[in-house]
Amino acid sequence: MARWGMVIDLFKCIGCYGCQLSCKAENATPPGVTLARVEVSEVGTYPNVTRVNLPLLCMQCNEPPCEAVCPTKATQIRPDGIVFVDEEMCIGCKYCMIACPYGARYFVEDQAAYFGEQGFTPYEKAGYPKHKTGVVMKCDYCRHRIDDGLAKGLTPGIDREATPACVTNCMAKARFFGDLDDPQSEVSRLVARAQAFQLNPEFGTDPNTHYLPAGRSVTPAEPEQPVVQRRE
Amino acid sequence: MLTVAQASTNHSAPGKQDRWIPSSCSLCYGMCSILAHNVDGVVTKIEGNPASACGEGRLCAKGIAGIMTVYDPNRVNIPLKRTNPRKGIGVDPQWVEISWDEALDIAVARLKEVYEHDPAELFLQGTTTCASEMHCGLFTFGSAFGADAVWVGGGGIHCGSGAHQTGGLMHASWSLVPDFKMCNFAIYFGASKGHSAGHVANQNAQLAADARARGMKMVVVDPMCNFAAGKGNEWVPIRVGTDGALALAMANVLVNELELYDRPYLKRCTNAPYLVKEDGHYLRDAASHKPLVWDEAAGAARAFDAGPSDTLALLGEFVVQGVKVQPGFQRLKEHLRKYTPDYSSRITTISAADIRRLAREFGEAARIGSTIVIDGEEFPYRPAAAIFFRGSQGHKNSTWNCVSIDLLNQLVGSADNVGGALGFNPVCYGHPSTGRPFYAPEATPDGLMITGTWMHPHKPFPANDAAAPTSIGMREIFPWAMTSPFYGASDREVWWNKFNIQRRPKVMINFGANAIMSVGNKDVVADALKDTFIISFDIFKNEMTDFADIVLPDTSYLERLFPSPNYPFIFNHPGGMGTWSWPIRQPVVERDGQRRDFLRVMYEIGCRLGLRDKLNQAYNIHFELKDPHRLGPGVKYDFDEISDRVLKSYFGEERGLEWFKQNGVLNWPKRADEVYWRSRVPVRVPVYFEIFQATGEQVRQVARELGVEKDLNFQAYQPLPDWNPCPSHECTDPQYDLISFYYRDTIHTNSLTMENPWLDEAAQMNDYSYNIAVNAATAQAKGLKDGDVIWVESSYGRKVKGRLKTTQGLHPEGVAVAALAGHWSKDLPIARGKGVFYNELIEVDYNHLDPGNLNMDLCAKVKIYKA
Repeated sequence: MARWGMVIDLFKCIGCYGCQLSCKAENATPPGVTLARVEVSEVGTYPNVTRVNLPLLCMQCNEPPCEAVCPTKATQIRPDGIVFVDEEMCIGCKYCMIACPYGARYFVEDQAAYFGEQGFTPYEKAGYPKHKTGVVMKCDYCRHRIDDGLAKGLTPGIDREATPACVTNCMAKARFFGDLDDPQSEVSRLVARAQAFQLNPEFGTDPNTHYLPAGRSVTPAEPEQPVVQRRE
Repeated sequence: MLTVAQASTNHSAPGKQDRWIPSSCSLCYGMCSILAHNVDGVVTKIEGNPASACGEGRLCAKGIAGIMTVYDPNRVNIPLKRTNPRKGIGVDPQWVEISWDEALDIAVARLKEVYEHDPAELFLQGTTTCASEMHCGLFTFGSAFGADAVWVGGGGIHCGSGAHQTGGLMHASWSLVPDFKMCNFAIYFGASKGHSAGHVANQNAQLAADARARGMKMVVVDPMCNFAAGKGNEWVPIRVGTDGALALAMANVLVNELELYDRPYLKRCTNAPYLVKEDGHYLRDAASHKPLVWDEAAGAARAFDAGPSDTLALLGEFVVQGVKVQPGFQRLKEHLRKYTPDYSSRITTISAADIRRLAREFGEAARIGSTIVIDGEEFPYRPAAAIFFRGSQGHKNSTWNCVSIDLLNQLVGSADNVGGALGFNPVCYGHPSTGRPFYAPEATPDGLMITGTWMHPHKPFPANDAAAPTSIGMREIFPWAMTSPFYGASDREVWWNKFNIQRRPKVMINFGANAIMSVGNKDVVADALKDTFIISFDIFKNEMTDFADIVLPDTSYLERLFPSPNYPFIFNHPGGMGTWSWPIRQPVVERDGQRRDFLRVMYEIGCRLGLRDKLNQAYNIHFELKDPHRLGPGVKYDFDEISDRVLKSYFGEERGLEWFKQNGVLNWPKRADEVYWRSRVPVRVPVYFEIFQATGEQVRQVARELGVEKDLNFQAYQPLPDWNPCPSHECTDPQYDLISFYYRDTIHTNSLTMENPWLDEAAQMNDYSYNIAVNAATAQAKGLKDGDVIWVESSYGRKVKGRLKTTQGLHPEGVAVAALAGHWSKDLPIARGKGVFYNELIEVDYNHLDPGNLNMDLCAKVKIYKA
């Protein structure tokens, strides 16, 4: 059984909000719900300053505090590590929202339309029935894509159709997805790098979502093609 | 009702229609290729099309959010007629719904009056957001009608006259990017290529990220540390609008301190060796009239193309034909001495030491003299690039800023060479099966480069001869202007009267531009447009349609067909090595209401005006149609058939519209000699701008004859680049101590996407999108704190209000506002009241234009205070 994980390279991330929007479009989330989101901040003091774009989503923790507090066992961990909410079992008590240290959960009370009293768009009418109201929503690594993809013999993280929407859409190719139990997978190799880190490890939740730092120093190597230097 | 194309159909559930339809985005001019998921007639997802080089399967936030634009309940669905004759900001047009027949009857009648009286009184306006349809529609109709008064309201007159002119003149392309895969040192001047910006946003984002990860050093010169600078290895904060002064000082260091420049390149690929007389003009061969050069091997002058270039003199002084002459490069070298690092430091606020260091790093990174083998062929290897765009070019010194920056590429020989600064696809030798499209730069008799293709009918070079203006845009006396902002200028009547121009813009056809907001101060533009009869194609009612007389409900980009969204390839097709892709745009959803396509309606209007044959001919030119696919006289064509002919004309009988509807995109590999063409195509670019001087002399002559010589500014018409101040740099009133500017947000495209609720939600989560950024120390010194509501007031007394965001990432003199926000139209409920309407601060008059290319100056000297 695979253990799905994601690596987000903050060095490559340009803060385009493509993950946030692709998640919204894929999952038809209602107003105010951003299962994937981006926080833009600056670090340093003028003029030695830079920006850090921090994409956030459910960390898919191996020790998820949200699961422990759920009184109805609506929040569950799949054998492949994905933490999800069984909407049929959720009673909307919001304990999990308080327990989650990453602010990754949203409670949807009523179905609201993006254009307010002007009503639901055809897209919303088609998409919102996918979710119940009065329950908590969270990112589940687009498990429908993973499951549908696996059923078709595809490989999550490699085949587009079987990979979370935010990963396939990342314009800077800053997001990577795959099996953390497979030491040969790209995500395993990235996580094995010394700089790779989990967000707030002090929370003790052991996320399957990992990051690579925003700053690093690289010197260009000679190109693969032969170069000839002539002196005048 | 149009039938949705069935490009790929599968039935995932019984009775369920489930199709992924390939098409093209158009929520900005980047036009990335998309796949739209249509389930039972509803678009449920838009993704990037992985089969196309135009995005390779990714989409920016805006493109994904297009669903909420097409389904916006505020779309215009029925033609509207104004019943309130009074026009003004906040004045209700009192719309009544009318039939298409009535709307077209009214439009045709008004256009017929103008056509019969004076076609040059028609004014055409378009938006960059839908650049492909805009270029096609305005060119074909304008050409058939005889109207040359065209502006791209907002985006166009702000963003490109300097950058694209310089791109065309120096790189035969619209814009520049670093050759990301091979570049080792990129210096950006007010540009964010590769950081979710405009042309080729998706592809460039990956290329730039990979380049940085590979070790390409990225230095970003910008007043603000945002999208590009926030990812760069080094942010160089610069005083707003002074980029040219930095570039010229770097050039001075390269040429006069380090003597680090690519001599063979300058001799072969530029006019640096052309001999220049004391009057600034080339010395020419008496018989052939060709410019002369000094051949050091022969110890004699000869025509520039009469032999190999390696023995030509770049420096020195010679006497030829009894005349004292110097190579243009000698003139440039002397001219640059003025720009000492100390001098430019005072202008830019960048230290002289940093200027010297940047020049050295750039020059050394270029590895002058090296070559590399690509696909078995040897090319110059110059892995250093200097890139400019809207930030550096949106100033009064627009052309010279861009030229000065590009001079760095020319000096080290990195222009369109491996690792250097690449124009977007200046050369294409065509699809292997047809050899089409085929274009490459050509040389004038003087050896200077003419672009192989261009976005407008008139190429950026050669410029027309200056003449007394008779048109309302007056570009006859501004021959280097790509467009004219005079239509909306506060001093338009002054200039029309100076030139005794009786014409006035009587009727405007607007395609989707919101000029009331996108040009400059709203009152100035409103005054200019209030007396014009306006026929407006729009998807929303907005601040511009408040001034319209007829509103025609347009289709959105998801509801229409267009055969060539990414051609010419110089505009929004990925540069560098890789794949050529030719996608189409096709409807992915059936249209609601009575919406009709702008292009089809324009063709219909043209036919009703009796212009059918002229329109057909204009289409033949616009799409470069070849027999047997050319449109003939006497036939009224449907746009589907025109599109079919366009595609077959380029790619053969078997690849017509049906093939493209099914397949979405045609791909073929690029060749190394297409991408790295500079050492292969025998053309030269100027580093000595005799061409500007020559125009200036013509302009002066015409102006003298008209008695307006003293009214014109001639600083654009000298042969060597300078940094010239904007009015904001010349304002000496000490209470105005800051310089404001706007920048393009990653989340929004101009003013259009402000109405999209998904993007609005994202922008509200961003600290900068809807607020006014000011350096934290500057704000503190004024007693202002983060979150305060402040006024920004210009030295002309114009002001805007917004919420303060204090930041460390901004030059202490800067005031930065994102995008084109602050809508006030009640017809845009999502956009209304969001963000800051920066353009309120912008003056629209001759004194705030680049005197050569007429680009608008977009900075203002301001003060800020608590509201």
